[in-house]
Amino acid sequence: MKVVKSIKSGLFRSLKSWKGVLIIWICFLLLVSIYALPLRNMLRSGFGPSMITGRFANGLDVEAFSDLGSTLRSLMSYISAGFLMIFLIGIVVNSFLTGGLFNSLRKEYGNMKFSPSEFFRAGAVNFWSFMIISLIINLMTVFLSAIVVFIPSAVVTASETMSEKSAVYIIAGAVLFALLLLPVFLLVADYSRAWKVCDEKRSCFKALGFGFGETFRKFWQAYLMMLGLVLIQVVFGLIVFSILSSWKPASGGGVFLLFLVSQMLVYIKFHLKAWRYGSVMSLMENNQKPEVQNSVIQDIIFQEPIVQSHVTENPVIRDPEIQDPLVKNGTNLL
Amino acid sequence: MRKTPVSFFLLLLSVISVQAQIINKTPLSARITGYKMDVRLDTDEKAVSGKMDAWWINKSDDTVPDIRMHLYMNAFRNNQSTYYKEIGASPGPLDSDRGRIEINSFTDSENNDLLPLMQYISPDDGNPEDRTVIRVLLPKPALPGDTIFLTIGFDTKLPSQIRRTGYTNDFYFVAQWFPKFGVYEPAGMRYATVGGWNCHQFHASSEFYSNHSVYDVSINTPAEYVVGSGGQLISETAAEGGRKTRNYRAEDIVDFAWTAWPGYSVFTDKWKHVNITLLLPEEREKQVERQFTAVKNALEYLTENVGPYPWPHLTFVDPPVMGAGAGGMEYTTIFTSQSSFLMPEWIHMPEMVTVHEFGHAYFMGILASNEFEEPWMDEGINSFWEQRIMDHYYGKNSGMINHPLLKIPDVTIGRLGYVRSPNRQAVSNSEYSWNYPHGTYGMMSYNKSAMVFHTLMGIVGEQTINDIFREYYRKWAFRHPSGKDFIQVVNEVVRRNHGDAFGPDMNWFFDQTLYGTGICDYKVAFISNRKQIRPDENTDITITEDPVTDERDSLFTSAAQLERVGEVMLPVEVLVHFTDGSEVLEKWDGKSRFKDFTYSGKREIEWVRIDPEFRIKMDVNYINNSRTIDPDPVPVRRMINKFISLMQFYLSIMLL
Repeated sequence: MKVVKSIKSGLFRSLKSWKGVLIIWICFLLLVSIYALPLRNMLRSGFGPSMITGRFANGLDVEAFSDLGSTLRSLMSYISAGFLMIFLIGIVVNSFLTGGLFNSLRKEYGNMKFSPSEFFRAGAVNFWSFMIISLIINLMTVFLSAIVVFIPSAVVTASETMSEKSAVYIIAGAVLFALLLLPVFLLVADYSRAWKVCDEKRSCFKALGFGFGETFRKFWQAYLMMLGLVLIQVVFGLIVFSILSSWKPASGGGVFLLFLVSQMLVYIKFHLKAWRYGSVMSLMENNQKPEVQNSVIQDIIFQEPIVQSHVTENPVIRDPEIQDPLVKNGTNLL
Repeated sequence: MRKTPVSFFLLLLSVISVQAQIINKTPLSARITGYKMDVRLDTDEKAVSGKMDAWWINKSDDTVPDIRMHLYMNAFRNNQSTYYKEIGASPGPLDSDRGRIEINSFTDSENNDLLPLMQYISPDDGNPEDRTVIRVLLPKPALPGDTIFLTIGFDTKLPSQIRRTGYTNDFYFVAQWFPKFGVYEPAGMRYATVGGWNCHQFHASSEFYSNHSVYDVSINTPAEYVVGSGGQLISETAAEGGRKTRNYRAEDIVDFAWTAWPGYSVFTDKWKHVNITLLLPEEREKQVERQFTAVKNALEYLTENVGPYPWPHLTFVDPPVMGAGAGGMEYTTIFTSQSSFLMPEWIHMPEMVTVHEFGHAYFMGILASNEFEEPWMDEGINSFWEQRIMDHYYGKNSGMINHPLLKIPDVTIGRLGYVRSPNRQAVSNSEYSWNYPHGTYGMMSYNKSAMVFHTLMGIVGEQTINDIFREYYRKWAFRHPSGKDFIQVVNEVVRRNHGDAFGPDMNWFFDQTLYGTGICDYKVAFISNRKQIRPDENTDITITEDPVTDERDSLFTSAAQLERVGEVMLPVEVLVHFTDGSEVLEKWDGKSRFKDFTYSGKREIEWVRIDPEFRIKMDVNYINNSRTIDPDPVPVRRMINKFISLMQFYLSIMLL
């Protein structure tokens, strides 16, 4: 029940934070556009006044692209370098923006009006912590996935006697296992960030510790919720991909409509992600509420000075009903 | 030397039995050479050993003092062989890694011991360490019409890394494995000005050249092994020690290869008179149907457009992963394909390999060109037919990849291999295969050559190109054509079909494309639409107003300005489209550097396309083949819009 309640609550919270999602969408649209516009100019100058672009009516035409020759080489190096660059910039931007978004997904934010200044303030305050959390979780994901996939693959490759079918099944099993591990890392990252925005004074490493602890405390309910939410995003992504790939407008108006629809779908995708954040936030709050005393245990675990009040340190206590007198409108007056 | 009439008689008997008609009703070839072998596969030693009776008939007018034979397997003897020197690698540190062939006994029909008369020679590079060719001085020179009978005992140790031939665990692909005659070329045959042996060493970038022969091969293996070969199975008998002996016979083929592996599943099918056998790992059973379909497509297309497949049997093998090094090779009536049990239907790679390797039954099997010296005659011509077959049966735009999101014709893969190669002008196709510089052997012999034939088809038409190959088959089947012989056929057929439309012959085409290093690139440089100017009112010229004058403002002088960027000069079509929707198809001989097509009238040129049907596949840049005064921005915008959305999705997925 808690899971269903959290998912519901997460959905409402994400819908309420539509302005925050809108900010994220705009930022990423700008970021990607800055990257894509030179690409457009390169393609335009590469094809020039040629009519070969007519061959794109039925989709990608490998031959026409390859005849770009040196332009194609420049294009490929621009895309590959830009891909990494935009990913790195994306981590930075995302760390900043998700700080604001997580903040607006808190329960205590429920009765408040969305404020861009509060959004950016929270983003700024949590920026470094979120970035470190992102980098650590990303590194752990890559490292563990590589191990999970690499070791069986290496064994399979080295074996000359193993049948092709067994080899493929082993590698596919390893990849599937790696994919099933992903929700665990997402949970850790989301719990950590949710906890961090609820108490901005905490260090990111403590937040990570909390994330791991909370993930495994009630593992299956959290894992299944995350798996469900991830699957929804995957299904949505596949639907969008099939729409985008099959839609080939031939007129300027059609292309503009494609732009509008595709950006609307991207906006929905960001909402789905916000739903995930909101659900985890809600689950964390639901798990914590009756167990206020747990924070004392956590303090001990995290070796906080015992003199600190567990009431003010517990993120859930920042519920408006039992609000910390030092916190006003979600802002820590300290 | 002691003469043994009895052994000679036995040898003669065996030769007569080999010469008999068992498979084909009449000999298809001259059968200058023949082999009767009795061999045993030693799975412990990874070796094939046995005895071979072989003969060579001197059908020339020359007195030949020696014979030359290939011992290909010695290429894998050590890293000093020409093969390993060329690839800059080693067969491996262990003896089990290496391959070699040892001749233990070598006698002629009079029981003369020829071993002392045998010497290793290196006619191509003078490498004293290379042992892939032997010369044996005959005790008595072979007079015209003589038959040289030889009895050879040999041990062939197979290499562990399969490079076309070898073993991995219990998988064996046995090719280039027995002492094999070179080809004696009398004066006048191909490029020979004096009679002599054409017997090249084993090279990294090369294939083979042999006479059409008769093979009678008995192979003894452990009973649990499944065996396939280029021959037709004649008998199968149990042998002692839990073994089995299979006797195969093949007629009029240029090479004999076989494979043995306990893990094969065997499937059979039939196309008209041809019994087809497919050997593949059990787990690839789902690939069986598509493999049979592919080979039957190739049989049908080549029979229809080139000539009949004359043998009643055909075996092909889809080797397991551990034997992948044997994949994609041809030995006339046996060839290897390459697939995988999870290969999606929309990737036609297995079909392409099957069609290609089968095609070699024609282009080097039936039309037995010298692959050492003119690789374009087998790989180039065969790639041309492979691309036609794939795009014919699997879709004009989807011969290689047929996915809703991506379609790629097979011919495009071939074209890109050529036009995108940075070394496309490094060498012409007049080199021997191992002399191609900068690793251009594959690009030149497969891709560029195939594009030469597609371009030829674009110029003379599909009907004429089919006529050319039918005539080539009719004239040269089961013989050894050279490049000039093929071009002679082209000249005859083109003249017959088109008269002087392309000049007295097509040598101009081959000199530029096949034997030249220039590139072909035609370009629409500019389109101009100028209003015709009414004479100035202030001039001294008296203008007689006429009713037309008012219309002059809407009269245009339009020009399509074309340019030949490359060196290659080919006739091309130019399609000019006007603003009123009318079109003019112009012919340009493509010789001058610049060419203008000028028009006067009320209509303006809207766009121009050189080679509108993309028939000149050698053109290295299709983008500049067309030009419009009003470029359509939609395709690029659409692409970029999708790219932006997908990038946003990518970031949304990848970022936590």
